Amino acid sequence: MDRRSFIKKIGLTGAGLIAAPYILPSQRLFAKTGTRKVNHVVFCLFAGGVRNFESMQKAEGNLMPNILSGNEGISSDIIGGMEILPPRSGLALQNYGTLFKEFRYGNGPTGHFNGHTSAMTGAYTSTELNIRERPSAPTIFEYYRKHNSTSHSALNSWWISDSLGAYPALNYSKDSNYGPAYGANFLQPLSILNFNTNNFTFQGYAELAHPKEFNVSEKASINKIKAHLDGFFAGKYNGIDGGITNTDFDRDRINTFINTILTQANAGAYNNPYGLTASMNGDLYNMFIAEKVIQEFKPELLVVNMQSIDVGHTNFTEYCNNIRKADYALATLWNTIQSTPGMANDTVLIVAPEIGRNLNPNSLMDSFGRYALDHTGDQTSREIFCLMLGPTGIIRQNQTISSVAGESVDIVPTIADLLGFYDDIPLQYRQQMGRVLTEAYV
Amino acid sequence: MNTLSIKITYYIIFISTLITLSFSSCKKKEYIYEVNDESITKEGVNKSTLKNNTEFISMVYSDLYGTTIPNAKLTNLSLEYDACGDKELIEDLIIRNLLNDPSVQLPTKLYMDNNLDAFIDNTYKKFFNRTPNEMELWNLKRIIQEDASITPEMVYYSFLTSDEYRFY
Repeated sequence: MDRRSFIKKIGLTGAGLIAAPYILPSQRLFAKTGTRKVNHVVFCLFAGGVRNFESMQKAEGNLMPNILSGNEGISSDIIGGMEILPPRSGLALQNYGTLFKEFRYGNGPTGHFNGHTSAMTGAYTSTELNIRERPSAPTIFEYYRKHNSTSHSALNSWWISDSLGAYPALNYSKDSNYGPAYGANFLQPLSILNFNTNNFTFQGYAELAHPKEFNVSEKASINKIKAHLDGFFAGKYNGIDGGITNTDFDRDRINTFINTILTQANAGAYNNPYGLTASMNGDLYNMFIAEKVIQEFKPELLVVNMQSIDVGHTNFTEYCNNIRKADYALATLWNTIQSTPGMANDTVLIVAPEIGRNLNPNSLMDSFGRYALDHTGDQTSREIFCLMLGPTGIIRQNQTISSVAGESVDIVPTIADLLGFYDDIPLQYRQQMGRVLTEAYV
Repeated sequence: MNTLSIKITYYIIFISTLITLSFSSCKKKEYIYEVNDESITKEGVNKSTLKNNTEFISMVYSDLYGTTIPNAKLTNLSLEYDACGDKELIEDLIIRNLLNDPSVQLPTKLYMDNNLDAFIDNTYKKFFNRTPNEMELWNLKRIIQEDASITPEMVYYSFLTSDEYRFY
């Protein structure tokens, strides 16, 4: 070997050794774009079906004083059905970002699951979804974990849902190019806590908070036995449906987190964690635990929803009351983000309902003489809003866009753009999404 | 018969003898040893149906408590199971919580150490619904005998979190 080729080989080997730790599982050394506007995005589905009349147009007064500026009083005929919530402190959230007052859920059935799926995949679904199946199009979590350039840990992406049913299936799709390897950690806090209204205890504490702990030496012995057992078995198990997996280290952290929230709940710390006069509903509990996830894991991508507003099918006044609670919950979410080191001033919060509600009411009247509202696909049930909050140099502050602009399928590409991997998503997938909401950018 | 014919005859006889000898020397001898035939197929090849979450929880409970799971308990555990996306994590958590319950029926370590063959055989029957083959018995026996710290609880936990336990 001559001197020149020797130096060349040494150089290549050295470069390889230096680069190896940075090579992504997607076989790319660096992401193509790599330019992140922020390092964290939280997407809150202000869901359950919110009509723009009651939200943006303040037809019943300002039911969202934490989000919207203005002090319009609540309609006198339903005021008796409103629980007391703390007044807004400081400026309304719309001052910290851009408000799309006429956002749209453009296509597909106006169901909650369809609305969630479109918002979390960036693709409309033209037919009623089979709620037993995962979505066809990849979710934002899968795009994020496959294409982002910083970390592929599942601990960095969370889907915190207020309910079970079909919603656990939204942490990854059945698309063969993505799937569980890129899914998010899913948690439905209300069922983990499992509050028993009969005896006012948290069943989750009784059933999950006292695990047998094995020390390191015992774990090593167990691993020997398991290797023996698995070595003699022809099959392989990886979650009930090949679900997402965390590393052992990450699993220990999640185990500790679950144990902590169960223990705190059992100790009474969650009875009224916000210190409200009003009662805690599912949305407030869900948001409270989402805030705990933010504080503990500082995820780069978290999606959380609220759906107590859906009481609007049977009780219009309670629907309005729950809009107010969701508004309050959103304010606490924003305050938590801004008080969490590592996420403060480096997070964009996107808020949007999944669908609206019908123009015309149904026949169910509440005790205040108001008729309830369904969502069966008329134009009004497609009219929603979107709020994007974020750092001053990134998100245009105190901007209101009153014309029709933006759709729910625009949220996924916008998140991808904010986290710097939009261009890394293959064209075939980008073509089925909406667009990046650049109007909100500085 | 002339000399050439005799030579050819001897030559043919010589070649035939060589061929016969060479074939007979290649004949394989069959030895028969005094052991039973053993299948080299991996166990559980017929177990290909994954237990669903309700079946899994019910079976863990009945295998540990020796009784059917109460409906309320099954409902609660199923809810908690569905509420966590990492299924292996929540399964492990449910199993370790059940194992920590003092009312679970566990053999003592003394029993295990003094009746190892029977303990292993019973454990396979309880959790895998089959008996271990000779190799499995020998290997697990060796693992337990070489590690005095192994308890029946650790063995049960290993079986409950094994791949085979998830299938039937």
